[in-house]
Amino acid sequence: MSSPAVETPPAARAPRWGWLLFSFARREVLARYAGSVSGLAWTLLHPLAQLAIFSVVFTQVFRVSTPPGYPGVSYLAFVAVALWPWIMFSESLHRAMGSIAGNAGLIRKVAFPHRLLVYAAVLACCAIHGAGFVAVLVVLKAIGEPIDLWRLPVAALLLVPYMLLAVGIGAALAGLHILLRDVEHALQVLLTIVFYASPILYPASLVPDTLRGYVEGNPLGWFSERLREVLFLGSGLVPGDAVAALGCLAVFGAGLWVFQRLSPHFEDFL
Amino acid sequence: MSERRTLIRLEGVTKDYPKVGTGRERLRTLAALLLRRRDLPHFRALDRVGLELREGESLGIIGENGAGKSTLLKIIAGVVRPTAGTVDVKGRVGALLELGSGFHPEYTGRENIHLSSALMGLSRRELTRRLDSIIEFADIGEHIDAPIKHYSSGMVVRLGFAVATAIEPDVLITDEVLAVGDESFQKKCIAWLERYRGAGGTLLMCSHSMYHVQTLCTQAVWIHHGAVRMHGNSFDVTREYLTYHEERNGPKQPVQRAPEGPWPRLVKAWTEDAQGRPADTFRQGEAMVLQAEVYEPDDRAPVLLFGVVRVDGTSIYGSHSNEGDYRPTRLATRRFAFAVRFDALPLLPGKYHLRVHTLDTEGLRLFDTLELDFVVRGETRDYGVVSLPHRWQPGRGVERPVVTP
Repeated sequence: MSSPAVETPPAARAPRWGWLLFSFARREVLARYAGSVSGLAWTLLHPLAQLAIFSVVFTQVFRVSTPPGYPGVSYLAFVAVALWPWIMFSESLHRAMGSIAGNAGLIRKVAFPHRLLVYAAVLACCAIHGAGFVAVLVVLKAIGEPIDLWRLPVAALLLVPYMLLAVGIGAALAGLHILLRDVEHALQVLLTIVFYASPILYPASLVPDTLRGYVEGNPLGWFSERLREVLFLGSGLVPGDAVAALGCLAVFGAGLWVFQRLSPHFEDFL
Repeated sequence: MSERRTLIRLEGVTKDYPKVGTGRERLRTLAALLLRRRDLPHFRALDRVGLELREGESLGIIGENGAGKSTLLKIIAGVVRPTAGTVDVKGRVGALLELGSGFHPEYTGRENIHLSSALMGLSRRELTRRLDSIIEFADIGEHIDAPIKHYSSGMVVRLGFAVATAIEPDVLITDEVLAVGDESFQKKCIAWLERYRGAGGTLLMCSHSMYHVQTLCTQAVWIHHGAVRMHGNSFDVTREYLTYHEERNGPKQPVQRAPEGPWPRLVKAWTEDAQGRPADTFRQGEAMVLQAEVYEPDDRAPVLLFGVVRVDGTSIYGSHSNEGDYRPTRLATRRFAFAVRFDALPLLPGKYHLRVHTLDTEGLRLFDTLELDFVVRGETRDYGVVSLPHRWQPGRGVERPVVTP
């Protein structure tokens, strides 16, 4: 034993959770391919398959032409830009919700801030689908889609509040899920509704005026539209982004509040 | 002693586990938790537990299954927050609440060391410095790069213990972990713990092995139905705990006294110390005297029989006054007094019954029975019931012939 009596001041201890968060997130990413042969490829294949289905159905069956307002953009690229962030968001919610129940063994036996598990779940989704998103954008650009790759940092900046929103909702869901397993099923239904209610497969401009408020007021709708404006039309940040970010921050705070209230009791119910 | 800091202090620690069955109860519980209300149906796992542990001390927690030991350890380790009471823990705590907690079966031993040490609060730099010594202590060879799911439970224990010890905790908390693992690893753990204790480390362990508690802990606390039943020297507490079990497993029916009638009857019987003061607690090796007064209707000297029984019902020794030429003292008409002296009680610490019976003059028929309880105290790691007189001497080996004088 070498001098164990030296007490570490709280400030010096703070960074250790950063390392733990990194370890958790790394484990999340690695867990995706542990035990499967093609591993990480599946995480890219899933959104690609979805994209293929949507583009076939909408361009070949419904014969949707290029959406108005985005000259030179194919329907495929139009959907892809909003689809990846959506998958990132919805998968984050799922993973975050299950992160507490899925690590019951840890929570029952080891003392650590539980919220790290939620953060790690979302971070892992961001890393995996963020990389997939960039890869898809590069490919689209290569086949001649008018994508402004220099605007990627702006898009990344837009995604920050979007993911904070996911952390907030995910944290609340994770806490509630421990007591009410119903949350799991409710989330599935809600996500389906939100997906079709958001301008992901269609531009917000096609929505009839009576419904326009619901579609554009929904934060997912806002971000989808904004991402397209940034990446296709070269738009910068607008004041509305700050309002949306504040809203997301509020949800993040509220979600974390719920989580922290329930967190000391997780062990009671797991 | 007094300048050593208190590392762990618990006051009035109570833990209630909510009972949730129906959906409505779940919703009510959820609302109560969010609004911080406390009017829920619950099960009390710990009831106003108070403890204090100073630097360099070691405390063993014993108790039956479900008594609340693990909950108590979890509260000290910070895994569980108590419903009421205060918990004050200083210094770095290394908790090994279950073997392989923090391990993921799909990952290799090496990867698991990373995550598990991060969970215990090691930074990346600290880990890099200690990785080799952890792997060396675990001593599982090339398996370190195989997924944990292929490990035997003993190998998981080795790895877990190696990580827990590597963080050089101020307080080490272990929950019955020494029970797994092979003999040689257990020895290694015990050796480590002894060295750790010797270097001033503080230990808190939960064990069903009284031997481990006596060897490794200076103090012990007995948790019974969620409350502290006894707290003190580890020898006293473990002995009391064992006695409790012996008593529980022992015969339940009370001793039948003979009804009043024309037969020899015990008027009174008691135990006393060498100075003649009534006593029921003796130190091992001390003198004990049994005194008895008997009523004999025909005024003929009766026979007294005594038997020493452990509380679980094991007979240890019995004898009667009919031996030799012992004659009881005749106090008055029909009244006789007996006394038996045990010069140096060879009984090991524990709780015993002393049964006293009256027999007729011929020593043929047994009439009355009275049971006295007494306790033997002492600090020993000996096993069994009595201490057999023995001494250690030089060994002779196979080859050397017996030297005959």
